Amino acid sequence: MGVRCNAERGRVTFAFDGDIDEYACRTLRESIDSVIAEKRPAEVVFDLGGVAFVDSTGLGLILGRYKKIAATGGVLRLKDVPTQVDKVFRASGVYSVVEKVR
Amino acid sequence: MKMLIPAYGKNESFARNAVAGFAVECAPTVSEINDIKTAVSEAVTNAVVHAYEEERAENMIEICADIDSGNTLTVSVRDFGCGIEDVAAAREPFFTTKPGEERSGMGFTMIETFMDDMTVDSAPGKGTTVVMRKRIGGDAGTRRNA
Repeated sequence: MGVRCNAERGRVTFAFDGDIDEYACRTLRESIDSVIAEKRPAEVVFDLGGVAFVDSTGLGLILGRYKKIAATGGVLRLKDVPTQVDKVFRASGVYSVVEKVR
Repeated sequence: MKMLIPAYGKNESFARNAVAGFAVECAPTVSEINDIKTAVSEAVTNAVVHAYEEERAENMIEICADIDSGNTLTVSVRDFGCGIEDVAAAREPFFTTKPGEERSGMGFTMIETFMDDMTVDSAPGKGTTVVMRKRIGGDAGTRRNA
């Protein structure tokens, strides 16, 4: 699992690569939060195009970041969601709070 | 198939991929393989996160898989950890004993969603065994036998 971060004009994009499972979330959570705390972006985009697998811990990661970002008035968007990831997110109702974009 | 692995976070990926590899025998679709990987990952993650207090070499997870003549895959994930006090409550969506750690509480719900059925056998101090079943390939099975 890897994540690349790109910040420009109030928007931070995190591009994920590999599997987002419980083990990956142990380090992902901290690295994402430190960037968000520093940049305080108005918009955060999770580019999931390179994600091969997600389970309910990935869901916890998304909802946890959503709460933090929303608390400071920002928005979180999920970009380029692969089929397996989409199925897990649909089953868990993520899209009722976080917007999916192309 | 039967394997015993230490309940380490780094083994979650190996566990779901090993079962997915075993399930290839049933000629599953990509979607079915993904369902199996998700379900196994949930059960194994539960064992890693909840069954044992810390990651130690003697804390094991036993995973068995079998395919019957009707092309139904059965997977069991067993731990020898603390057990679950109230299984019915634990199976409810969003139930978690660790809300401070951003646990979604959706693990069992995911298994029920992606597999055909699931049983959870657990008692405090006695460990937990999760058994899940999925019939592979309505369509794929027909094509394969044609």
